Amino acid sequence: MSDFLQSYGFLIVTLIQAGLLGLSLYFPLMAGQLSLASPGFYALGGYVAAIMLTNPAFAGLRDTLGNGIFPLTWLAAGLLCALAGVIVGVPALRLRGIYLALATIAFVEILRVVSLNLSITGGAIGIFGIPQAFGFQDRWQYLLIFGPLLALVLAFTYMLQKSRVGRAFRAIREDELAADAMGVPPTQYKVLAFVIGAVIAGIVGSMSAPFLNTWNAKQGTFDASIAILAFVLIGGSRSMWGPVVGGALLTAVPELLRFLQDWRLVINGLVLVIASLYLPQGIVGALAKLRKSPPPARPPIAPAPDAKGGTL
Amino acid sequence: MNRTKLKVSAAAVLAVTAGLAFAQKVESPVPIGVAVAQTSNTALLGQEQVIGARFAEKFLNARGGINGTPFKLVFQDAAGDENSAINAFQNLITKERVVGIVGPTLSQQAFAADPIADRAKVPVLGPSNTAKGVPQIGNYIARVSAPVAVVAPNAIRTALRLDPKIKKVAVLYAQNDAFSTSETGTFQETVKAQGLTLSTVQKFQTTDTDFTTQVTAVLNADVDLAIVSGLAADGGNLVKQLRQLGYKGLIIGGNGLNTSNMFPVCQKLCDGVIIAQAYSPSQPSAANQVFVKEYRAQYKKDPPQFAAQAYAGVQVFVEALRAVDRKKKIATWDLDDLRVELNKQILVGKYNTPLGLIAFDKEGEVVQKDFYVAQIKMKDAKTGSFVFLK
Repeated sequence: MSDFLQSYGFLIVTLIQAGLLGLSLYFPLMAGQLSLASPGFYALGGYVAAIMLTNPAFAGLRDTLGNGIFPLTWLAAGLLCALAGVIVGVPALRLRGIYLALATIAFVEILRVVSLNLSITGGAIGIFGIPQAFGFQDRWQYLLIFGPLLALVLAFTYMLQKSRVGRAFRAIREDELAADAMGVPPTQYKVLAFVIGAVIAGIVGSMSAPFLNTWNAKQGTFDASIAILAFVLIGGSRSMWGPVVGGALLTAVPELLRFLQDWRLVINGLVLVIASLYLPQGIVGALAKLRKSPPPARPPIAPAPDAKGGTL
Repeated sequence: MNRTKLKVSAAAVLAVTAGLAFAQKVESPVPIGVAVAQTSNTALLGQEQVIGARFAEKFLNARGGINGTPFKLVFQDAAGDENSAINAFQNLITKERVVGIVGPTLSQQAFAADPIADRAKVPVLGPSNTAKGVPQIGNYIARVSAPVAVVAPNAIRTALRLDPKIKKVAVLYAQNDAFSTSETGTFQETVKAQGLTLSTVQKFQTTDTDFTTQVTAVLNADVDLAIVSGLAADGGNLVKQLRQLGYKGLIIGGNGLNTSNMFPVCQKLCDGVIIAQAYSPSQPSAANQVFVKEYRAQYKKDPPQFAAQAYAGVQVFVEALRAVDRKKKIATWDLDDLRVELNKQILVGKYNTPLGLIAFDKEGEVVQKDFYVAQIKMKDAKTGSFVFLK
């Protein structure tokens, strides 16, 4: 068992990490907004943590807080991403559909180029030698922070979906004009959904920086945007389990197929193509359809009135 | 809340059982891990490393392996990203039970994966990590690739010898590439240290194809020397456009341009580009001449630097294992103890590799005797070669 955790601990944590990033994209989608900004906030959160944990300017703070610095980095990353989410969200969410997607890609690119050019982010080499959260020695120990975060986010999502806010999100997704007419302010709710996603991505980033030992501009790229979108689409975008299943599956497949060497990427591609062709609702969507009881059968045709026994 | 508590206690139980794991013997043939980029866009470099490592496996095993015990290389794809490199390292350390690892390809990956090996007390030799700070990651991390700061200045000194009248210099670099940004720093410092004027510094991206802005700035600055740090495709295009728009001075290319993959890009216009090298096929040692002969026989061209460095990495492991084996037979070692002893042995030894004579300082930084400078000579539009300058 310990061998298993040693070998696969890192992978298991990356599955959860992928699921969480998928969820961060799921919130804007819940309100019908196709945003690809998650890797930007993920990278931002990671940089916040990496800088707080390595920069000499924070040395005093690190000494006084000890391990308390780690929760503080999560908090700082979450707050900063919320702020950035509002600043980006308010103008960007005036756009719709593909234009919003393009604007969010631009945001990710801007952050990437800025981090390549600043000295505080270490330029292209990035920040390295990040201390380990709570003195963790093995990668699987990061389950102890990523696991509860996933549980917390799932619980939050579940409650949100049942709440008034969740219903407002869905109303906007189905028909923004009608929702507006019914007294649901679309801009306000769209920005809210966007900011929730940003905060989650930021916190995941701040936990990931010590987990990866290093942080650089390669973490938030256009490729990452597409990968995370694929998590949600392959998993299913109409259920909160979709991003989790999709993220875990798409991260696990290439790693578990390592023994196939170069063929593993071919299989990964096949999974993507087949899933998007035959499972338009995603994997979770398809499973839900299977579980749903079949529509009630047509009632048996009432026996025709007996013609023989008639009296004439 | 209950759920978290359950997880914590489960983890505690696991931690205890992990401590009770049995001591493991070293397998035969002795496994040495190689984690380089076999896929992704970094594979252009990684594939040359795979070839170099395979040569070492074949050649050194034919010469008796580790005093009679054969060794085998275990390959795990580290791709071009941090996650894959960590996964590859974890696999090699816990599943394949290797005695040491040659890898990963990129410095950024080294910063992610090397701490894992260091904590597990597994010796690592970086075959191509040239960024500042890699050997300092930990006691178990060393590299056979000389850092940029040592290799790059040689190109400028050679350019000054070829044309002593050089006064003004333009520096261009790919700002989204870790290696190029670190290399350009060294180039700029050397330019100033040599008393030259740094007239203009231009940035580009590895994905750019049009360099009109940068080339115009270089032409306006009226320089005698242009120094380009980038990768094969963008660097090649930049060289081509510099020449097409009428730049006449010398051009120095960084290590990213140190590959024949650049020839199809700038074709005839590649001619004359000066590149500093950590390796030369003409290095006279017997170890190198055998390597070059075998490589030419199989691939019909001279071995590139990346192949030679990967070969050197495997060779250092094998020679250090031989020294350990002479003290106490490899098969009788406990794996964990062997890894610790092997690491100590690597740092004290001297190795006669294709790179020339190399050794390590106490941090694990390579100490290499010879460096080289080559100039590109194009035969026609497609074929060319690196001519080594004395």
